[in-house]
Amino acid sequence: MKIDRNELMHIVRSMKGAGYDYLVKITAVDYERSMTAIYFLREMKSGKDETLEIELDPRDAWLPTVIDTFPAADWYERELSEMFGIQIRGRIAKRLLLEKWDGTEPPFRKSFKWNSDYKTADGE
Amino acid sequence: MPTRINIGPVHPSTHGVLRLVADVEGDTITNLEPHIGFLHRGVEKLVETRMYMQSPPYMEKLDYVAPLAMDDAYVATVEAALGIEVKERAMYVRLIQLELQRIASHLFFTGALCNDMGLMFTMFMWCFEDRDRVLDLLAQTTGQRMFYVSMRLGGVTLDLPPDFADNCNEFLDYMEKRLGAYENFMEKNPVFMERMKGVGVLTSQEAKDLGVTGPVLRASGVPYDVRKAKPYYVYDKLHFEVQTDNRGDNLARYRVRIMEIRESARLIREALRQIPEGDAKGMPVKLIGPAAKNRTVTVSRECPRGEAMMYMVADPQKPYRLSIRSPNFVNLSALPHMAKGHRLGDLFAIMGTLDLVMACVDR
Amino acid sequence: MSDEIDHDSPEFLNARREMDLLVAGSVSEKQAKPNVVFAKFADLIKSMPPTKDAVRWSRKNSLWPLQFGLACCAIELMDFGAARVDAERKGYLLFRATPRQCDVMLVAGWVTKSMVPEIKRLYEQMAEPRYVIAFGECATCGGPWWESYNIVRGIDQVLPVDVYVAGCPPRPENLFAALIKLQNKLGGEIEDR
Repeated sequence: MKIDRNELMHIVRSMKGAGYDYLVKITAVDYERSMTAIYFLREMKSGKDETLEIELDPRDAWLPTVIDTFPAADWYERELSEMFGIQIRGRIAKRLLLEKWDGTEPPFRKSFKWNSDYKTADGE
Repeated sequence: MPTRINIGPVHPSTHGVLRLVADVEGDTITNLEPHIGFLHRGVEKLVETRMYMQSPPYMEKLDYVAPLAMDDAYVATVEAALGIEVKERAMYVRLIQLELQRIASHLFFTGALCNDMGLMFTMFMWCFEDRDRVLDLLAQTTGQRMFYVSMRLGGVTLDLPPDFADNCNEFLDYMEKRLGAYENFMEKNPVFMERMKGVGVLTSQEAKDLGVTGPVLRASGVPYDVRKAKPYYVYDKLHFEVQTDNRGDNLARYRVRIMEIRESARLIREALRQIPEGDAKGMPVKLIGPAAKNRTVTVSRECPRGEAMMYMVADPQKPYRLSIRSPNFVNLSALPHMAKGHRLGDLFAIMGTLDLVMACVDR
Repeated sequence: MSDEIDHDSPEFLNARREMDLLVAGSVSEKQAKPNVVFAKFADLIKSMPPTKDAVRWSRKNSLWPLQFGLACCAIELMDFGAARVDAERKGYLLFRATPRQCDVMLVAGWVTKSMVPEIKRLYEQMAEPRYVIAFGECATCGGPWWESYNIVRGIDQVLPVDVYVAGCPPRPENLFAALIKLQNKLGGEIEDR
């Protein structure tokens, strides 16, 4: 379901109270005009899944932290802030995977220039 | 003032490249910080430049101890995006290959665990000899001993050879006797039991909060297995039990995996009896294949180390974004919590039972 | 979380610099001279024919490898040391994790940019004569990760390599053949180009 980032902490807390007690993954997709952050939650008793989608503007990308509700979110948020450049407010999200990285652009954004000169068969 | 010890990227346990910085007081760990990323190569970004069926070799090198499981997760995601059904006989063949891969992976775990704990090389040699026999069986059906790339859209590359059922049953009989010998070797050893019982306890609430998965989660009392919760292939037609243990210490995690080897043997035997006749070959690999029908897909698979979930946003001929939820990433993030208060020697026993593969942690 | 590691602190300096400082601090001028004479005499003996062959034979049959499995090729490395394709029968025993006792460095797996300073430090800590085997496609040329942003394309951009083994991953028998080639190179039967 699509939510707004200002209600994220409140919704996550109420979902945990309602039985969704397992965080599966936090990930993001970069559609060049906008970015979507996706939270996958699961209810362990019945195995039901639920996803929360938040739309972000790439130039003003920040999210509040959910680490006090789900400690599993720690490393996922660090990876998100490093790979996509989404700032996580409420904690210090230091570098995780590319600790001695000397580049400036977050690698998983579509605007990252890398020397992949492989052309797919339809010329992209 | 605590002393800071660096357990550097190159250390003699077999898990790959991981740097742990431990703050110790005397011998007891007060804080542990893993530094990862020494094997990061941006797989999720590389896959965006390749056509769908050019990527299985990338996926296999993620979890290199059980490569068939990650290969299967990716090919199933692509099939879900393209809307392709798997043939019935191919489902049985894939199931047999996956369960054989699970046995090989758990044998590797046993050998590496005993190596880490200092029971140098006896169990390692025994387990690797048995694992070589499983790899021989897998080579009979896929043609390769490691990095199979044997899944095609809608089926597999090669069908099972005619004498496969006899070879497989003979191996499984041998394996069940050998498991008795392994348990005798390890559980009658007082030092082994002392280092495993009561060490690294993870309660079920902590396990769910920290998000751990696989045998680590099941050994803490949470009976979640993707093969039962979201059955795929023909798991809903075969009989097996989800193995749990509610102590949550090292011994529980080790026992769950040994019991899973027995369950896998049972599954393979039943699948070999029930397998229908027919054709199992999938579509040949072409560069321009069928176009993707669904825009976003999510597929979960039970790898030997935990649940691997792939979320894909599909362009017509190649992925727009593939997000891989690797089980080892979360299991490693639970290590600082589990190791606090234990001694340095216990740290390696705990890490051994978590069964990490570092290339899956840094994708 | 605790404070960051200070990567410029004295504990993380180059190993050779540390060793030089230690050695300079402990060996005084007077004691250095007889050591130098002894070392030169030993080198002379080692280069004369009968002892030269004995030295060569003993070196090539007792290579101790550094257990440096980074990634998937490490699994085939372990299979190489296990019971079927036994590495010990050629003298290749005792996979050590510390480079001080080793002769051969088997780089098995892809090398990322974060790993390069660590590899250099390990190589410098090995005592001469030392050799490097590039095991697998990723150590030879970058392998399947050729286009990645974080990969060094082949370990020969960082270290001098003696034998390259092709395969992804190479079979353990392949590594055995590479070992025999390295032994022939040490024994002088293959020209070092």
